[in-house]
Formats: sequence, structure tokens, C-alpha cells
Amino acid sequence: MTQALRRYGRVWTRTASMAMQVQLTYRLGSFGFLLGKMIRLLFFFAFVVAIFNHVESIAGYGLVETALFFLTYNLVDMIAQIFFRGVYGARRAVNEGDFDFYLVQPCSPLFRMVFSSVDFLDVVTLLPVLAMIGMTFARLPAYDWTRYAAYALLVANGVAIVFAIHVFVCGLAVRTQELENAIWVYRDVMFMGKFPVDVYAKPVRAALTFVIPIAVMTTFPAKALLGKLSPSWALYAVALAVVSTALAAVWWRGSVARYTSSSS
Amino acid sequence: MIKYLRAYSISLQETLQRRSTLIMDRVGGLAVVIGLYSFWTALLGDKTEFLGYTRAEMLTYVLLINVLRAFVFTGRGWMLVGEISSGRISSYLVRPISYQGYALSLDLAQKTVHIVSALLEVGILAAVMRGGLFIPRDAATWLLFAAAASLSSLLFFFMEFMVSSLAFWTSESGGPLFCFELFLAFAAGAFFPLDVLPAGLRRALDLTPFPYMVYVPARIFLGKVPHAEAARLIAVEAAWLAAFTAAASSVWRAGLRSYAAEGG
Repeated sequence: MTQALRRYGRVWTRTASMAMQVQLTYRLGSFGFLLGKMIRLLFFFAFVVAIFNHVESIAGYGLVETALFFLTYNLVDMIAQIFFRGVYGARRAVNEGDFDFYLVQPCSPLFRMVFSSVDFLDVVTLLPVLAMIGMTFARLPAYDWTRYAAYALLVANGVAIVFAIHVFVCGLAVRTQELENAIWVYRDVMFMGKFPVDVYAKPVRAALTFVIPIAVMTTFPAKALLGKLSPSWALYAVALAVVSTALAAVWWRGSVARYTSSSS
Repeated sequence: MIKYLRAYSISLQETLQRRSTLIMDRVGGLAVVIGLYSFWTALLGDKTEFLGYTRAEMLTYVLLINVLRAFVFTGRGWMLVGEISSGRISSYLVRPISYQGYALSLDLAQKTVHIVSALLEVGILAAVMRGGLFIPRDAATWLLFAAAASLSSLLFFFMEFMVSSLAFWTSESGGPLFCFELFLAFAAGAFFPLDVLPAGLRRALDLTPFPYMVYVPARIFLGKVPHAEAARLIAVEAAWLAAFTAAASSVWRAGLRSYAAEGG
């Protein structure tokens, strides 16, 4: 087990190092992408702050609390972007035959597919997010350590659910060799996680909690920190992560079992 | 002219043929609109007015965003980058067509499909959400809106064409294009009305062509701009369009001069 972990660690380090070299080589392209990511983050943050020049609260939340929801969304989203970047090239890997090579390598093809690329630009973008989260924490009342622990746990839980979704998208690429937009649909739908789930109408809120659990990934951690999440909902979040990850694994195995190679 | 109509027709069929891609595109766009619509509904609460917009006007603005994004921001800049970088552009250059005219035909075909889908979505959303809808009563407002939106669409086409043409000089033009598209979406008012921004920033944006792409057409639709002023704004937009048409053509010609293709 330890040996396998070490091997996977080495594979990840190598692929991450290659991804970093590519990003450092393509300086203009990387700079453009980085600037774009910063613009997206800062414009939205400025929007939230500007809104609170005109209103006291939104859905019962003040500026600091709304900022916490927005930043938590960014935290979960960026961690996924950093580590699961390989999924964005899943369809290409299948169509161009790279996936065939993954299958014969002494390494899990899912690992190669999901973790084969690391977006270091998001590591850079994550730094201001972490700084802003620190500033937001400082403006909130001092909570008991258990609240911060629950926040960290539910952020990790959110990342696990995002991972399950990414595995599902990979399986889709292997099964259909198309649906390249699937991951972008996920990104667009994730947009709804920028705001606390309480702003949505009841049916949408239910959909975001039970069907496409964006609320569980992004709103629940912030609510736990604010003391507005009951233990039963926290339990539901953890159970959902376990079930969705297990289902994603089954889906992936089924996809690989049906795979007949689509190229060369 | 017939060959461009034929290109339009083929592209229209192709877009409709790739139904899963189209549906996924629209689902993604719809999620953004539902997110923004819910956010503004929660923000407005019991208020009858916010930043000079009545409740119906503000919610109509959000729905208009969906329509204008489909009509203005649907483009094929990434395709152009790919065609230049891979050398596929060569096969178009030897054909007896203007590439710009050909690209515009394909662009219009995509816009046709997306605008019809967006109007359907907005109709359904307006019926379901019941937040009130502002519909202009006089024909002049509709005409002015149509003129402003059409110019916006062309303006975006030439702007994107110009930025994508950077691919003639660098294989890293994807970064600048990504950055340009994100900045444009915010600066155009495609996420929120620019009235939210601080006055200084708004004045600075007024000196650029960006607000003419979503914010100005939306304000014309909402009757926030007297007809004479709307006509003046449309004239300014036309001047921007002329400037960017000339700039895009000039960059394209310079790019072609520096372009070299090898192999078959």
C-alpha cells in the first residue's frame, strides 16, 4: 500500500512538473489565463462589495457572510481546478488514443485521466482567495474551534463530491467519445454556488441540495462555520460524498469495461 | 453572396445536428441566468426600486442578459485560434471566399440557433418565476434595441476576430482571448448592470466600447434612455464598429503576410 502510494506520488509529481514547465514555457498564454482568472475573481468580489453599498443584507446575510459564501465557492472550485484538471482533456485523450496507453501503463487509468495535469495558474489565483478568507474570518466573531474544523471538513467533503462529478464526466468521455461540453456545463452550473443557496426558490434549492449538490459543496461549509448547519445536514453531506464517490467508481469501472478503443 | 448563404445553411444544420452540445451549452447559460435572477430577486426582497430600476426592470435586465449573451457573445474565436495554430486555415485561404465573410456566416448560424433557444428559455423563465417583466410598448424602442443589439453582435465578432488573429504571431493567443472574453463579459454588463459599479469606474468604462455590447442595448430596451439619446449612443456604437472592423481587417492582413504553412 505504502509502495503504491509512493509510486502514485512519483507519477503525480512528474506529471505536475511537466504541466508546470509547459505553463512556464507558454508565458504569454499563461499570463492571459492568469489575468482572466484574477479578473473573474476580483470583478465578482467587487460586485458583491458594491452591492452592499446599497443594501444591508441579502437573504438574511450581511456583507462578510455573503463574502464567505462566495470565497468558499472559489476555494472548492479552485482546489478541484488545480488537481482534477486532466478531466478537461478526457475526450481528447480518448479520441486521440492516449487513453489506450493509460490502460497498459502500471498505473490506474482513472488516476492518469483525472490527475494527469495540474493547473498551477489556479495555485496562484488560490493565494488571494486564501488571504481573503483569512480576512473574512477575522471580521467574523471568534468561533469555537469545532466550527472551523467543521468548515475544513465540509470543504474537503465538497472537493470529494466535485471529484465524483469529474469521474462521472471521465466515464462519459470513455463511453461516448463525445460530450466534450459536459465539464463546461458543470462549470456553468457551479456558477449557482457563488451565492448562498438561500437566495434560490424552494424547488431550485432542493435541486441544488439533492440532485446537483452544489449547495452541499459550497454553501454547507460556510453555513457550518456560521453555526447555521444542523448536524443532520452535515451528516447528509458526508454520506452524499461517500455514496457519490462509490457510484462514480462503479460508473467508471463500467465505462472502462465497455471501452473498445476508438482510435488508431 | 450565395456561397455565404450556403455556408450559413450548412453551419445551421451542423449546429442543429450536434444537439447534445447545443443542449449542454444552453443548460450552462440557463444556470447562470437562474443564479443571477435568484440573486437579484433575493436582493430586491420587498423593495420596489433599486439603483433606479424597478423590480420588473431589474429582473428583465437579467433575462435580457441571457438573450444578449446568446446573440452577442456566441462566437468562434477559439475555432479561429485552433485553425491558425494547426494550419487548417490554409485550406480556407485557397478557396474563392473571404474568410471574414465565411466566418461571419458560420457565426450568424450559431447565433440564430442560440437566440431562438434563449428566447424560449426566457419565455419559460418569465412564466415560471413570476417576478414581473418589462416589455416596451412603442415600436421605436424595439427598433432602437434591435439596431443596438445587431451592432453589438457585429462589434463582438470583429473584436474577437482581431484578438484571435494574434494566433498568426504566437501559439499562445488562447490566453489573451480567454482574458479578453472574461473582461468583456464584466465590462459589458453581462453579469450585472454597470450602475452597481462606483461612478469613477463606470465613467472609465464609458470611454470604451464594452458597455455598448450589453448594458446600452438593455437600457434602451428598458426605456431608460430617451430615443434621441439612444440614437446618439447607437451612432457612437457604429463608430466603434467601424474602427474595430478596420482594425480587425488590418490585423488579419498583417497576419496573413506573416503566415507560413508547411506540409500538406
